[in-house]
Amino acid sequence: MARLEGARSLSPGQCAVVLTVCAYIGLVLVLPIVALVSRAVAQGPAPLLAAAGDPAARGGLVLTLVLAAIAVLANGIAGVVGALVMVRQRFLARRVLDALVDMPLAVSPVMTGLAFLLVFGRGGWLEPALGLLHLKVTFAFPGLVLATLFVTFPFTLREVAYVLAELGTDEEQAAVTLGASAWQTFWLITLPNIRFGLGNGIVLTLARALGEFGAVLVIGGAISGKTQTATIFIYNAVEERQEPAAYAMALVLAFASIALLVVIEWLKRRRSAEN
Amino acid sequence: MLRQFRLRAVVTIAALAATLATGCGPPSPEATASGKVRTLTLGAYTTPREAYGKAIIPAFQRAWKEKTGEEVRFQESYLGSGAQARAIAGGFEADVAALSLEADIEKLAGAGLIKRDWKAGPHRGVVTRSIVVIAVREGNPKGIRDWDDLRRPGLQVLTPNVRTSGGAMWNVCAMYGAALRGGTTAAKGDTSAAEALLRDVLRNASVMDKGARESIISFEKGIGDAAITYENEVLVGRQSGRRYDYVVPHSTILIENPVAVVDVYADRHGNRDLADAFVAFLTTPEAQRAFADYGLRPVDATAKREVAARLPKVSDLFTIGDLGGWPRVTATLFAPQGVYERVMSSLKAKP
Amino acid sequence: MSSIAAPGTQGHGLALRAGILAYVGALILIPLSALLFRGLEGGLAGLREAVTESTAWQAVLLTLWTAAIMAVVNALFGTLTAWALVRYRFPGRGMISALVDLPFAVPTLVTGVMLVTLLGPQSVLGGWLAAQRMQVAFAPPSIVLALLFVTLPFVVRAVEPVLMEQDPAEEEAARTLGAGTWTVFLRVLLPPMMPAILSGTIRSFARALGEFGSIVVVSGNIPYRTLTAPIYIFGEIESGQPARAAAVSVVLLAAALALNLGARGIERITGARHGQA
Repeated sequence: MARLEGARSLSPGQCAVVLTVCAYIGLVLVLPIVALVSRAVAQGPAPLLAAAGDPAARGGLVLTLVLAAIAVLANGIAGVVGALVMVRQRFLARRVLDALVDMPLAVSPVMTGLAFLLVFGRGGWLEPALGLLHLKVTFAFPGLVLATLFVTFPFTLREVAYVLAELGTDEEQAAVTLGASAWQTFWLITLPNIRFGLGNGIVLTLARALGEFGAVLVIGGAISGKTQTATIFIYNAVEERQEPAAYAMALVLAFASIALLVVIEWLKRRRSAEN
Repeated sequence: MLRQFRLRAVVTIAALAATLATGCGPPSPEATASGKVRTLTLGAYTTPREAYGKAIIPAFQRAWKEKTGEEVRFQESYLGSGAQARAIAGGFEADVAALSLEADIEKLAGAGLIKRDWKAGPHRGVVTRSIVVIAVREGNPKGIRDWDDLRRPGLQVLTPNVRTSGGAMWNVCAMYGAALRGGTTAAKGDTSAAEALLRDVLRNASVMDKGARESIISFEKGIGDAAITYENEVLVGRQSGRRYDYVVPHSTILIENPVAVVDVYADRHGNRDLADAFVAFLTTPEAQRAFADYGLRPVDATAKREVAARLPKVSDLFTIGDLGGWPRVTATLFAPQGVYERVMSSLKAKP
Repeated sequence: MSSIAAPGTQGHGLALRAGILAYVGALILIPLSALLFRGLEGGLAGLREAVTESTAWQAVLLTLWTAAIMAVVNALFGTLTAWALVRYRFPGRGMISALVDLPFAVPTLVTGVMLVTLLGPQSVLGGWLAAQRMQVAFAPPSIVLALLFVTLPFVVRAVEPVLMEQDPAEEEAARTLGAGTWTVFLRVLLPPMMPAILSGTIRSFARALGEFGSIVVVSGNIPYRTLTAPIYIFGEIESGQPARAAAVSVVLLAAALALNLGARGIERITGARHGQA
């Protein structure tokens, strides 16, 4: 393993490095958070409580949570399936699939929204079909679902694929020779083995879904009472000079992010402990 | 077992399908204890957020409940007027469109969404008025008195982006029109001098937000020395405790904001009666007073009289009609080869 | 032909494959194809025309140079951070390591709001900066800061595994042969780190090309001055110019993809794994 310098044996040069790093992290990461929290808290509890009782705020949070739940469920399942398929199968379209899986990470959120608009919006590819089915996608909930599924897609798949690639199929093969069905093999062998990857993937999916803004803004239209997610609520609240509400919601999302971060770190520790 | 696997797959697909289906289909009114619950969707420009959200909509909800026993839920969207017009034309199914300028309503008519003559009412479809003013810092430290003062080199002026904001278009019309009418140092009728005024002021434009509301909020954040905006934006800002003054130029334009029922969507939602009632409500004295409370100038005669004293008079107040009407103005000022585009292109050379 | 677990489960394997291909096809391939088609409506000439239009071009340039500055800063400080985290023990190390992952969890819009709160003219810091005539909020520096926040983990997490795998024997050998600290660093330690630094930096640059939520709040969105490409695209969508938006999107997306491909190539060659949280 690498050499480690204990705190007591740090030379001045090394101390300088540590201090520089701390200053950098402090300036870029910590200071903005502190600024938000102190501004939010300086307003006193009353505006924050009032904001908490605001039906628009609650509605926005609920909408975001519902979208996140759908993303975790759908992309969790798709992630596991996709990882299994990509790691353990060889087929022609595999490279294409591989490329497509990574796409959402490269696409800017506004482009995502635009892409779905071009498919489902006015003059879009599927507009006639939607009209026939009386389906509304743009400026409506389904559009938000699609956008959220798109942006959160790669996380679980990549995390589980990584774990699967390292695991190999020995255990599963043994199970099959012992007479286990495919389902049993999956449920009792594969799933427990991938649980850290799956857990990590789910947390990342959640974080991304909670934070989605650009794509849902473009495809949803920021309609209060209909397509206003938590992030869009903040955006709109700033417009309405409802700063307490904006800061309150930003605080909620910031704390949620920190909670997710704690879970990520905990998973990391559990994983290395088990290794 | 294969069966379990298939079952899982089916359940997942069903769950996903159900999810997608939740937003689809015609809305069905739910029954409540006292009557039906209906939903009306409003697509408006940014400025009258408070007027609608805090006063008009609650008042209408009360009035409608008294009259019919039905509860009305509102879905509201506030965007720059141009952006909102495009959103509605692009699929946002608003039942009622409350936009900043007639030209944007005409866009909806042009897209086939408004079938009736929306100007048929007593006020030609207009529900509120305002004027273009110049917001300045408290105490007016830079001593801004009129349009020409905005040409000063180094002064930072805020005005929104013409592509998305109706307010931006009103601002440009106000300046250009004031110059043409001799309300500035430019000679009356001198189009190139008017264009020069525009260029000098826009040169000083440091932030071009998407809507009038975003623009005044930028001003409140401390950006810029002056913001060209609606009078009612300033008044609403001051109501929320923001402190700044405003200057009424000698010559400025009368802003007229129209509202229309978007027939195609209202019919699709079965809301035609509700939408018509809402639009009619907007010109009643009660609603007009509510608009006035939020800094807008009413169109209704009664409300007008009540408010006349507390709003400043303009020496030379002209309308879009005095400039030739929206179609002519759009063609001369805002078309791709129009005055505005020329000015912006000539400014781009120096950031 | 291999299958999920073993022979006898081929039916499942094919069904799963079909399922995932359908899902990815519907969710990802179709919308992106629509974007591609609309963007390429005017052919390559159309693409060039859309991108070189003055506002668009300035937006693209701004995006590129702010991302470049961010990438350089990120490469330097990210490496330093990874170095300190892996090789030293100091109080607060665990906290800093956890904080490095924070940008993956925080919504970009909230990042923007935080930066406005920190740097806006009404804040203590913002007021001070304004007094010094330093424009940070609603000016390009705020864009760089937002990008730094959002991409902070990329280089750190890419370099950490490399540092952790380093064999101290080589370093000891070099020292016993009389090499000074700098020589040891440049000749022994840095070369294995370079591919990771490079791939992490490239990925952060690619990520920055598409950043929207944090910048839209804090940059002021002034055309020709603080309007980045993604926000330009947003403006075009709202202005009813989806074709132009699509064209610029295609160019930006192609760039991001090429960069990510490059980073992946580097990672493959060196056997490293792309440093996610």
